[in-house]
Amino acid sequence: MSFRVLLAVLAARLAGWISRLTGRGGSSLPGLVARRIAPQVLTRLSQSLGWGTLLLTGTNGKTTTAAMLRHVVEGSGRRLISNRAGANLILGLTATLAQAERWRIFPRADLAVLETDEATMPRAGQEIRPRVVTVTNFFRDQLDRYGELSTTVQYVARGISFVQPDGVLVLNADDPQVARLASGSHEVIYYGLDAGAHVEAAGYDALDARFCPHCGSALTYDRRYYAHLGHYRCLHCGWQRPQPSVAVERWSRSEEKVWVRIRGEQYVFSWRMPGIYNLYNQAAAIASAVALDVPTATIEERLASFRPAFGRMETVMAGPTRLWLALVKNPVGFNQVLGAVADEAEGRQAVMIVINDRYADGRDVSWLWDVDFEYWVGRLKVDRWYVSGIRARDMAVRLKYAGVPKDLVVADEAVVSLLTRATREVGEGTLFVLPTYTAMLEVRQHLTQMGLVKHFREG
Amino acid sequence: MSDEKRFNILHLYPEHMNLYGDRGNVLALTQRARWRHIPSEVMVREIGEPIDWEAVDMVFMGGGEDTHQARIAEDFLKIGPELASRLRDGLPMLAICGAYQLLGQYYKTAEGRELPGVGFLDVWTEPGTTRAIGDVVTQTSLPIVPESLVGFENHGGRTFLGEGARPLGQVALGQGNNGQDGTEGALQDRVIGTYLHGSLLPKNPHLADLLLKWSLERRGVTDSLEPLEEEEEMAAHQTIVARSRNS
Ligand SMILES: [Zn+2]
Repeated sequence: MSFRVLLAVLAARLAGWISRLTGRGGSSLPGLVARRIAPQVLTRLSQSLGWGTLLLTGTNGKTTTAAMLRHVVEGSGRRLISNRAGANLILGLTATLAQAERWRIFPRADLAVLETDEATMPRAGQEIRPRVVTVTNFFRDQLDRYGELSTTVQYVARGISFVQPDGVLVLNADDPQVARLASGSHEVIYYGLDAGAHVEAAGYDALDARFCPHCGSALTYDRRYYAHLGHYRCLHCGWQRPQPSVAVERWSRSEEKVWVRIRGEQYVFSWRMPGIYNLYNQAAAIASAVALDVPTATIEERLASFRPAFGRMETVMAGPTRLWLALVKNPVGFNQVLGAVADEAEGRQAVMIVINDRYADGRDVSWLWDVDFEYWVGRLKVDRWYVSGIRARDMAVRLKYAGVPKDLVVADEAVVSLLTRATREVGEGTLFVLPTYTAMLEVRQHLTQMGLVKHFREG
Repeated sequence: MSDEKRFNILHLYPEHMNLYGDRGNVLALTQRARWRHIPSEVMVREIGEPIDWEAVDMVFMGGGEDTHQARIAEDFLKIGPELASRLRDGLPMLAICGAYQLLGQYYKTAEGRELPGVGFLDVWTEPGTTRAIGDVVTQTSLPIVPESLVGFENHGGRTFLGEGARPLGQVALGQGNNGQDGTEGALQDRVIGTYLHGSLLPKNPHLADLLLKWSLERRGVTDSLEPLEEEEEMAAHQTIVARSRNS
């Protein structure tokens, strides 16, 4: 064992201990310190994993998919390391592996499941040499960080080039930009939706990828599940959606069940999180579990006991008021969340939207204009709209132009006081709280202080 | 052209050129027309489709990814001469980001390829080494109150102005056209080219109304626009203006 790696790991743990002591839970210090002392630390630590590493990336659904997959793998009895939501840059990945053990230097775990930011994929791939890479989808998001969508796809493609020769790619067959990532040199497990019934893509969706990645012609869709996800083919060069070996064939909201065909055989799984996009998340988790050789019986059993992760549609009771929390971060996700709100038409309802524009939220709020409020406003039975966060005023303008009467909108940048007011005014009813990433942290912190949710740390 | 009050906006390539909420500009213009009981219609036009120019009161075109921009470039150059002659004739247009670049003389890609523009605006675009990304506040020379325009820029190209174009504004926060000469956007006849997303017009209602006024004047409607309450819009505007004071 190299002395530098030993030193790096110990220093990272010390730094982590100090930042927790000083109350800065999500510090990037441990990763920074470790890499400064031993630049090879991530490579060395990941090499010690018996089976290897799965990197999970893509625009939407990373956190939910990772949480599901973690829960499933834990049920198979294997030792697993995984990172917390948000700790998905190179420093976070390094810190996760360096802090995996208390007394030993190298992790005893068999494998690591690491949610990885798209732009971190080239570096993470090079240093870790993953056994599996799972890609969820590509939507416009975080564009002000990485430039254009095609740049993001290139990052992920580069990360994939470092997958071990006997490794596996788990790809969303229904997203043309993801399906194109098949390299030819790796086994691919495709997942997708194969439902017979036509599903109407509700509302306006900003379409991101409608063109053939091979020849640039417009793609023809025989079926579209949401945004650019569906059954596509190119009439010009003949390229088309690959046939998925993990295919969702049917689902039922009332039974909370989903029927999935895995390599020719049909299985029934529990399905708790509503929305087509959560079907994709679940299919991604199942396909990844298949890539990790988790027995189907284990997948079945573990999905039955799975509960949603941080901020992904959870409900909390605050006295008589039901708080329904869901993260919003890009137009497609926001439209999906509003669709789920529309499905909940019961009793007294109000919506609180909290928009921040810090780095982790995306500094550009232009995307609010790509959310189809014009479509949803008339379909939601909402008594009042509360808008808050650093960009509360932009949200107020967005609602105004979507036709919401001025007297139904309350704007206040201060999150906690508006949340308190909104909860009081809703009383016995539901308050849908829809924050961006850092706004969700503020909301959660407040609810924790009120003793309403379990304490959690965010990376 | 009759002098009935109408506002028809031609939205060029909304499928390809739809980055960063640029459709918010069209929503803002049509809503502000409707609130004043001016019938308004969005004429959507994609590659190869015909254009009923006589019905058009204003043209809008947004930004797109490089790959999408490359797809519409050929078609855009084809309608270029007709468009340019109508713009010279006083037809108002708002061109954002990629559309702004395409309205110019040429733009050079990051790989050094020089692509021709429509050549209406006397501007040209060179590749930059880094992307200019962030909030922007400018002081405009347009006859509007307040003089400030706010938005969010996100562009790789650096645009330079020739003799024929005036800058839309002087930068108080952000990079603007090229990060060197302190200018942002371009103004020529009644055509505005700019890098500002945000969306631009919803939080710059004074600029939206100037474009509306220009458009209605084409129909011979010269009476001033009925004022609208704009408390929310200006509050959003001030959120960004305040950042130029703190920087
Ligand atoms: Zn093709």
